Amino acid sequence: MPHCLLDVDKDIPEREKHVYIKNSNEPRHCQPHCNKSTIPGSMTERGCAFAGVKGVITGALKDVAHVVHSPVGCTAYGNGTTKRYPTNPLMPDGTVFPIENFNLKHIIGTDLNESDVVFGGMNKLKKVIREAAKEYPEANAIYTYATCTTGLIGDDLDAVCKEMSEELGKDVVAFNAPGFAGPTQSKGHHVGNYTIFSKLVGTKEPPKTTDYDINLIGEYNIDGDYWVLEKYFKEMGINVLSKFTGDACHDELCWMHKAKLSLVRCQRSATYVAKLIEEKYGVPYIKVDFFGPRYCAENLIAVGKYFGKEEEANAVIKDRMDKIQPELDFYKSKLQGKKIWISAGGPKSWHFAEPINEFLGMEIVALSGLFEHEDGYEKMKDRAKDGTIIIDDPNTLEMEEIVEKYKPEIVLGGIKEKYLFHKLGVPSVMIHSYENGPYIGFEGFVNMAKDIYSAIYNPAWKLMEFQEEEPGDAK
Amino acid sequence: MSNLNVINKNRTAVINPLVTCQPLGAMFAVSGIKRGLPLVHGSQGCSTFVRYGFARHFREPADIAVTSLHEDAAVFGGRKNLISGIGNLAARFKPDVMGVVTTCSSEIIGDDVGGFIKMAKDEIVKKMGVTAAEKIKIVQINTPSFVEQHYKGYDNAIKAIVDTLAEPKDEQNEKINIVPGIVNPGDIREIKHLLSLMKTEGIMLTDTSDPFDSPLRPSKAEKNPYYQKGGTPLEEIKDSANSLGTISLCSYANTGAQSLERKYKIPSKVGGTPIGVQNTDEFVRTVKKFTGNEVSDDLLDERGLLIDAMADLSSRYLFGRKVAIYGDPALTAGLARFVTELGMIPSVVCVGVKNPEFVKEMEKVAKESEDDVDVLLGQDLRALDVYIKENPVDIMIGNSDGRLMAKDHKIPLYRVGYPVYDRVGTARRPIVGYNGGLNLIDGITNTILDKYYEVQDWKLQQ
Repeated sequence: MPHCLLDVDKDIPEREKHVYIKNSNEPRHCQPHCNKSTIPGSMTERGCAFAGVKGVITGALKDVAHVVHSPVGCTAYGNGTTKRYPTNPLMPDGTVFPIENFNLKHIIGTDLNESDVVFGGMNKLKKVIREAAKEYPEANAIYTYATCTTGLIGDDLDAVCKEMSEELGKDVVAFNAPGFAGPTQSKGHHVGNYTIFSKLVGTKEPPKTTDYDINLIGEYNIDGDYWVLEKYFKEMGINVLSKFTGDACHDELCWMHKAKLSLVRCQRSATYVAKLIEEKYGVPYIKVDFFGPRYCAENLIAVGKYFGKEEEANAVIKDRMDKIQPELDFYKSKLQGKKIWISAGGPKSWHFAEPINEFLGMEIVALSGLFEHEDGYEKMKDRAKDGTIIIDDPNTLEMEEIVEKYKPEIVLGGIKEKYLFHKLGVPSVMIHSYENGPYIGFEGFVNMAKDIYSAIYNPAWKLMEFQEEEPGDAK
Repeated sequence: MSNLNVINKNRTAVINPLVTCQPLGAMFAVSGIKRGLPLVHGSQGCSTFVRYGFARHFREPADIAVTSLHEDAAVFGGRKNLISGIGNLAARFKPDVMGVVTTCSSEIIGDDVGGFIKMAKDEIVKKMGVTAAEKIKIVQINTPSFVEQHYKGYDNAIKAIVDTLAEPKDEQNEKINIVPGIVNPGDIREIKHLLSLMKTEGIMLTDTSDPFDSPLRPSKAEKNPYYQKGGTPLEEIKDSANSLGTISLCSYANTGAQSLERKYKIPSKVGGTPIGVQNTDEFVRTVKKFTGNEVSDDLLDERGLLIDAMADLSSRYLFGRKVAIYGDPALTAGLARFVTELGMIPSVVCVGVKNPEFVKEMEKVAKESEDDVDVLLGQDLRALDVYIKENPVDIMIGNSDGRLMAKDHKIPLYRVGYPVYDRVGTARRPIVGYNGGLNLIDGITNTILDKYYEVQDWKLQQ
């Protein structure tokens, strides 16, 4: 039986299907069940659909004013509680956006109260959109978000936004992903993708195009990830026409149809939009992986090949590998054989598994995802050795049991579970927003290795127990 | 003569809020019960955002469960989710107390939470037997987020906790109930320290100090389920019906104290947060009044240390400097009074609430200050941003959410309150009591020194 009921789950046997132990003799379709509702009463790491769309997809844009149509809570949580998405002020036409890190600085809300819930909040939303436009005339577009409250009272965001677009003369876009939609934040990604595709892509033309234009999709510039990749592409003579959405501006989304090729980085949140663009505009896409030196090299070559720039790709790879090889060797000597559990939201668990094994020599004992789907678990499974536990949407009790049974010496995860692992005596490094990132590309992988190394070798872990006797005193 | 100018919000939008939703306050309060777990009846975001925020601020686990409402619940109601959620949490975690916290969604769909809890209790009895089931107390806490803010959620939770759990006995205990408010572990520990110097035992309603600042000792840790050390034990909460008095350290959370007064004749005193000399003096006097215990020399020495620091530092470095204060109402009112005691000018105080109690507290501060005090009432960080552009200040005091604004205005920011995620130690270091006053004056002075004296470093020589 590939599935396994953990001891802590005897009261919720449905969880058995979500816990899978890799066994290569089992048929291919065996994998953990996923994308299903979390069992009520669990302490889950999952977020909501609103978090998916604002927190992941749109929150990284540098020139958009965001209006959350909600009571004050969702607005308060809509900023800053997401990943680190720094932006630079340079716009595609060479001008400078006047507010630095605008996306991290400002969040606007309709502050719904009881009477709005009873009588509807559409007029308030209109008023607030007008105010947003007045408060931030620099903003090139206004995005609005439904939340549980507005979803339940049935406010028609699309109608309001259509009217406001005309009145204000700039794009006002509605994202209808109330918090309760779908089992995970993943639902919010898809709503975001589809909204952007259907309302924005194809509506504007880029200032100029080249033969080497790409869309870089699903790259959110976490802790500066994009800026690493940008350098590689520049050195290869490839132009990133549109980012989706890290350090991007609103207009870039509107001209995604003009690229020659789309690259899909985060394959959980963004494949959907690449597919749609391919279907309608014939822009082909390839799924890429730039985590870890080998994948990064392979994928740069693949992109190079597509544009006849293999040599340039090879030059980038050689230059970076020469620089990082000594450090990689060092970290491998320190981390060889250490047991690791990679617990990411979506695809990072499978992105990271092989590079961590190959370049750091670490042993993967557990893999998990919060909002991963079948295709992701398939890859996770392919990249795991027999006996590895693969678990969908692990809750805190299961985490404790996995630590006890599989004895990982480090866990890569998010901040919500990080301190629980610490209390259990296991170091943990954040891979959602990174500790000392970026983690992408060649130098990024070294950053991650360094964070893993400094977490495992933190002297604190050796000092946890008070020694009654002097350690050197022999009886 | 100094004036208090209250400036209300002149737009509908909230931009960079200084407040958040009611459930957060309730989750915070329930986390301060020993083996107490919040169960949020709402969407996953409702628990996850808060867990994220707590983890980021306290650097500790935040154990909060959720009933995971989805489309089916939006249509058919959340009965199934709540009943199975309570059952699962009870069976797997065996908490002493479970706080069922409602949200926007569960309030709007109109779930009969009280009725569902009863049904869930029957289920638990069937599953676990009467004895085990009766050990788990379930507290219903209504916190619709479209009504008021997180302070109210905290207040509602404290009231629901004492209403559900407090049990009168024939005999009075010699204790004092304390409602600390949404404060840091360091603050609660300082309150306990003050009480111990007054030879008084306190019942914290509730005690978040250890749960949000807990030792790392894995071999001794309770595992599967892991519960943080500390929190107020259920027995003590029950005993709160027999105390000498209740002190609410914040003006926004007094309904629990009122309820204890009404039901069990326990006298109550509300606010102000013991930040600074006079507010702490008031607190000490209240404890003396309730217990009859004397103010010890040790306590007066601690007070003297703070006065000594003020005598040494205030006039040279701080006097006449303009301060902008923002954040929680109880915190900002206390801070405004303290900076006034330091000879500084609380030229603007910005809060997200419209609480009239807060205005009263600020009127007192304005009377004591020699200068005008502007209050941005029911406002947000954007309002403060705009205000400061026109009316610059020398230093800002508030949470990390104002960090980018402070950077833009090139005004130094001293971080206090919740959330602080870009500096460490704020959760551990008290700002209440005389010791808290010392921390504050040191921190504020050093911030001033960095910004205004370091550049001409000869000025730093005595």
